[in-house]
Amino acid sequence: MLKITNFSKCYQKGIRAVDSLSLEVKSGDVFGFIGHNGAGKTTTLKAIAGIMAFDEGDIEIDNISIRKDPVACKQRMAYIPDNPDLYEHLTGIAYLNFIGDIYQVDKAERTELIKEYADAFELTGNLGDVIGSYSHGMKQKLAIISALIHKPKLFILDEPFVGLDPKAAYTLKTIMAKVCSEGGAIFFSTHVLEVAQKLCNKIAIIKNGRLVAHGSTAEVIGDSNLEEVFLELIEEKLS
Amino acid sequence: MKKILRMLSVQLWAALGDLLVIGKTGKKKPVYIYIGALVFIIVLSAVSYYYSYMLGTGLKMLDSLELLPAIIFTAACFATLITTVFKVKGTVFGFRDYDLLMSLPVSTASVIACRLIILYCFNFMFTFILMLPMMIAYGRLASPGTDFYIMSLLLIFFAPLIPQVLASVIGTFIAYLASKFRHSNLLNIIFSISIVFLFVGLQFVLNGESEKLASLGQIITQQLYRLYPPARLYTRAVTGGDWVYFLLFIAISIAAFAVYTFIVKLLFKKINTLLMTARARADFKLGELKTASPIKALYIRELKRYFSSSIYVLNTAIGIVMLTVMSVAGLFVDLDAMLGGEQALELLKNNLALCLVFFIMLSCTTMASISLEGRSFWIIKSLPVAPMKVFYSKIAVNLTVCLPTLLDVVLLGIIFRLSMGGIILLLLIAAAASLLIAMYGLIINLMLPNFSWTAPVVAVKQSASTMVTIFSGFAFVALYFLFASLLPSELLANLGYLIFLLLVDLTLYIILKGYGIKRFNAL
Repeated sequence: MLKITNFSKCYQKGIRAVDSLSLEVKSGDVFGFIGHNGAGKTTTLKAIAGIMAFDEGDIEIDNISIRKDPVACKQRMAYIPDNPDLYEHLTGIAYLNFIGDIYQVDKAERTELIKEYADAFELTGNLGDVIGSYSHGMKQKLAIISALIHKPKLFILDEPFVGLDPKAAYTLKTIMAKVCSEGGAIFFSTHVLEVAQKLCNKIAIIKNGRLVAHGSTAEVIGDSNLEEVFLELIEEKLS
Repeated sequence: MKKILRMLSVQLWAALGDLLVIGKTGKKKPVYIYIGALVFIIVLSAVSYYYSYMLGTGLKMLDSLELLPAIIFTAACFATLITTVFKVKGTVFGFRDYDLLMSLPVSTASVIACRLIILYCFNFMFTFILMLPMMIAYGRLASPGTDFYIMSLLLIFFAPLIPQVLASVIGTFIAYLASKFRHSNLLNIIFSISIVFLFVGLQFVLNGESEKLASLGQIITQQLYRLYPPARLYTRAVTGGDWVYFLLFIAISIAAFAVYTFIVKLLFKKINTLLMTARARADFKLGELKTASPIKALYIRELKRYFSSSIYVLNTAIGIVMLTVMSVAGLFVDLDAMLGGEQALELLKNNLALCLVFFIMLSCTTMASISLEGRSFWIIKSLPVAPMKVFYSKIAVNLTVCLPTLLDVVLLGIIFRLSMGGIILLLLIAAAASLLIAMYGLIINLMLPNFSWTAPVVAVKQSASTMVTIFSGFAFVALYFLFASLLPSELLANLGYLIFLLLVDLTLYIILKGYGIKRFNAL
């Protein structure tokens, strides 16, 4: 589904935000991507989503290179940033309709999916209001709904649970499980290690732009728990 | 005081940074931005000097040279007033970092002082560029004493205060009224256009030939003073060398500003809360959805973005609106009398292409269209749309704004009794120029984007992209003179100019397909 090969991204003065990162996300995976602040998580996610150009390596979605055919790759995935700045001047429904038009979602299916997910996230009544009037959590919900209505195979989520109320967070977890059971995959970053440990079948830990651990959750955690493993790896690097 | 200065330095730096691309580090420092800004200032000053000198020469011949400072002063104040009306929302009220600033341990008065000083700084720069050359021109013509120079120079610092106060009151009133209604932006646009037409209309009251100006010197002066009373104090001070009027002007300017600041302090939180709290009804019921193709969806998105910002519309559409109003008005008024004779009418007829292109060059929406993606830029970048489709949607909005010029050409053709061939030629020139400025503005904005604006007014009016596009865009207008001087007839000049515009269009399209896409992907 997603194959990252030797991905590197350099910023000014040769500073490598991400250095030779390689990993693979298969159908059915809920892949957690964990790291400290500034580790390179968002850089990686943006590169996968085709938002950020990168210097070395390649990223393939369904064996299609994001460098060679970004439009085809983007057609297959959905990206939600950690702070979804949406079009404040549009109403919620106008935004969803816009996304539906871009992905050419059939009218009947679009209506059905918007109804289903807007009801699930309790946002239906607010869809007629401008996004500028939404709270952060409501914007987050709208961004999630917009990602779901075109049924992507791959979800790239940057800290998706931030700002969601407990019910919405539970709804999202349920949807994530459903997506993966139907052959999709989810690659998401989070700081909430308990959620990662519970939800993810695979985990990758990034530190200063480099992968320091990755594999199945059981392999990475071993007999310990994710928090202890994570802190141990961080301290290793510090000492 | 320390806190105010610290806040002011950070905010001024941010405001100037938007304009001069400071802090946006790239592989190369944009030196050409600074050169361009300097050239812009020099050219604007030169134009102001030239206009002042020519007007002064005419007035001197008719023994009314003392009107020159009053006219330029009033013009500068009105220009400040009109431009500030649209800046108030986004600078004094409804600015994006309102929450951040108001959460800091500083008084509301300090926050207000900072915002007003920022607005004053921009207005002062503009007033200085206009009035200093006037001083020099008047000095050459009238050879006044040292008092004139001292007073004029000092009064430049106080000149923007009263227009800023008036503009802020009007701008706040418009924003407040508009916020009460659902389609507040549309109302904002209508109000603001009405204000512009009111002021432009008033200019016609004062307009006239030099001879009429001189023979009606006293009447004109009275009208000026009635329209803008502080002009009387200014004129008496600088041309009469009256220090009492000088001090009175300063005192009134400061007093007006102080009263305004006091009132703003009382209403600041209330008005900001009102402007920044969007109406939420939460009663939506899902009905039938309308679908569209991806390119149409992009165009609709772009059009909605355009009309969601009154400053965006006013800054880009006012030229076309004025042209259309004048074209329609031309069907009903006696242009001969209005323009002052057949010669002026003939001059206008022979330069219709120039006039058209001038107004079209003022109507560029694409020069801010990439910047205005702002923090939502990730959306369009993550969607499965090719960059060229995004560009087409932005160009399409610009062409939509310029569409009325086609009607204007037909109306002008009727007014000036042009041949069918002449009308068709003008239509093609209008179309080619509209396409040119749309693509040109887009390329410039791709080169000089600004995604970190805190209010749309920064992206639309105060960014490097806007300055470069408008300023260099006039070069395309000026090039018409080259064709007019090289080619023997107006028809050939227009034909030659059309071919030139089409060649530029082709070149810009190639640049957009190559550099434009690369640049978009790199942003």
